[in-house]
Amino acid sequence: MALRVMVVDDALFMRNMLKDIFVRAGYEIVAEAENGESAPQLYQDTKPDLVTMDIVMPKKSGIEALQEIIATDPQARVVMVSALGQDSLVLEAVEAGARDFIVKPFREEKVLETVRRIVGQD
Amino acid sequence: MDMSKYRELFFSETREHINSLNQLVVTLEQEPGNKETVDALFREAHSIKGMAATMGFNNTAQLAHHLEDLLDAFRSSGDIPLATIDYLLEGIDLLDGLLDDMQADRPERSTETFLAKQPIPEALSERKSPEAPVAPLDDESREEPPEEPDTFQVLIELEKETPAAAARGILILRELEKSGNLKTCKPGMDELREGSPCEQIQAWLSSFVDKEQIKETLLKINGVANVQFIGDRRMIDRRRRLSEGRTVRVRADLLDQFVNLTGELITHRNMLNTAGSSRNWDELNKALGRAGRLIDDLHHNVLQVRLTPLQSITGRLPRIVRDLSRNSGKQVTLMLSGTDVGIDRVILEEITDPLIHLVRNAVDHGIEEEGVVTVSAGREKGLILIEVADDGKGMDPQTLRQKAVDRGLVSQAQAHNMSDRDALMLVCKPGFSTAEEVTETSGRGVGMDVVKAAVHSLGGTLDIVSEVGAGTRFQMRLPLSVAIIKILLVSCAGHALAIPITRVQKTLDLPTSVIENSGQHRVFRLDEEELCLYSLAEALSLPQAAAGDTTWTILTEVRGRRIGLQVDGFLGQRDAFIKPTGFPINLLTGLSGATVEGDGRVTFLVDPQALLEMHSMTVNQ
Repeated sequence: MALRVMVVDDALFMRNMLKDIFVRAGYEIVAEAENGESAPQLYQDTKPDLVTMDIVMPKKSGIEALQEIIATDPQARVVMVSALGQDSLVLEAVEAGARDFIVKPFREEKVLETVRRIVGQD
Repeated sequence: MDMSKYRELFFSETREHINSLNQLVVTLEQEPGNKETVDALFREAHSIKGMAATMGFNNTAQLAHHLEDLLDAFRSSGDIPLATIDYLLEGIDLLDGLLDDMQADRPERSTETFLAKQPIPEALSERKSPEAPVAPLDDESREEPPEEPDTFQVLIELEKETPAAAARGILILRELEKSGNLKTCKPGMDELREGSPCEQIQAWLSSFVDKEQIKETLLKINGVANVQFIGDRRMIDRRRRLSEGRTVRVRADLLDQFVNLTGELITHRNMLNTAGSSRNWDELNKALGRAGRLIDDLHHNVLQVRLTPLQSITGRLPRIVRDLSRNSGKQVTLMLSGTDVGIDRVILEEITDPLIHLVRNAVDHGIEEEGVVTVSAGREKGLILIEVADDGKGMDPQTLRQKAVDRGLVSQAQAHNMSDRDALMLVCKPGFSTAEEVTETSGRGVGMDVVKAAVHSLGGTLDIVSEVGAGTRFQMRLPLSVAIIKILLVSCAGHALAIPITRVQKTLDLPTSVIENSGQHRVFRLDEEELCLYSLAEALSLPQAAAGDTTWTILTEVRGRRIGLQVDGFLGQRDAFIKPTGFPINLLTGLSGATVEGDGRVTFLVDPQALLEMHSMTVNQ
């Protein structure tokens, strides 16, 4: 069965880019959110195998959304997506339970490597 | 006699010897053919044998004796084959295991299989028969030990400028934790959480997972550039054992005093800060004075913690003397005096073996049929004097000279020119033994050289006083503490140099006119004695100042002879915290350490004895 992925990012450009990468790899996009506020509920509804989460988003940050998701599902596989120079935010996210992070600008194979590693682990 | 109270000390000391054995084997593996290392190994095994025999732990003594024999065969060549090193390590582990068993009060493991293997004497023996069987290992000894995790060090390098490196580090540590038991790591989890920079991670991991598999997993992590494993488990186990700290018992009231004193120091720091920022020099001076006194108190207390009465090691002597007397058929009485004197624990540990050697020697060689061996201790100026005396036949310098020549340790001419005092010191040469036969406890030429080396490494001196027919006295003079010592600061060719006060008998300001030339040497008279005068600058190959009216001189002693050491001036004396020097400065003979001055300058500590021994050798050549 194809891997079920949820993409959270406020920029449509980034969402589309990530979606394209995942689709090309044969994964299924089950949900997408454009802010941290709607992400936890969507996670509950769709129970994806993996979430990519932007850190800086309007309304509710990716870290807050991550914390809420982890609170309901400690096993949630969330990969943070950050820009360069957000080290302390990334650190915070990793401490909050993010499984890994990718830094923009990213290369397709790096994203897929990270995802495979996370999914292959459990 | 109840030996149980010595058990703990025996165990802790023997473990130290085992640690040294392990360390030395590792050294030998790195530098094959080093005779000194083999000698040192031999002496360690010898020490364990002696102590175990004293405690009545026969299996341990037998095993140590076996290892000693094994090592003895390689003392001349220093070249131990690899297979033997493995055998040796197995033996050392077995020794360790025996101690474990005894400490846990369970039946001791068998040493028979190990002893029966005997690969060395056969392999070495020249009359080795062609069919000399390699002792077959029975199935039991081949049995695999219960599976235990492998412990190793892993070094993980991150790609350069990897983003959010600290977060990456945390993910790596989490991955390691999944593969096994993460023992320590650098940087640690807490440091990473604080956002510590992270270019590489060094970690100790104990794991059942195959190393290659761990490596593969780690390499999959973004940002990981390289993964290496360092060392193998055997080495690591050893290193871990080596680094296990020593423990000291501390009285609770002393600890309370520490807390009080440090509390006061903190208060003083605040006073100093206030006085400093308000530029109130009076207050600043007062506070500095008080802080100085507090530091003195603290130093005194710290020394107290480390002081242990000499009794803790002399308590074993009566048993040793009794057993020795019985075995040799002699009637020896042991007298102890002043053994309540407190000695720095580090020093005490170092002199335990030497002291036992001296007592054994006194019984074995000093006493003929009946006599008294006296061990006495006391303060002498800033030193501790420990003396082992016998009322036996004494040593004849002439016999010793002859023996040293016979053994090829010195030339006929050297022996002839040697003072009686130097001749007595010949017994401290490696390979010199006055015993005609090899006994269980002494007389193998191991011992006196160990004693001398141990005393010197502590900054002390060993003297031998002997009178034919009246007995022999071995005197160890030791400093009170090893790290903090009183120094005399002198100037020499524009440098400030420190000399341990314990090495200074007197300071003299000699009128230059009283110095005469006698052959190659400059001499002066003191108390009806003609003493040689050496120049510290010359010995250190520094430019020498032109002679003035006064020749500033330190009276010191080198190899039992009083000599003068000329310096350019005296700068005063004080306490100093001496640190050992690092490579390559530690290779320089005569510089035994260094201390840092208030202004950050480094002052070297000169050991006149070592310096002049080397200097006079080159001069005489």
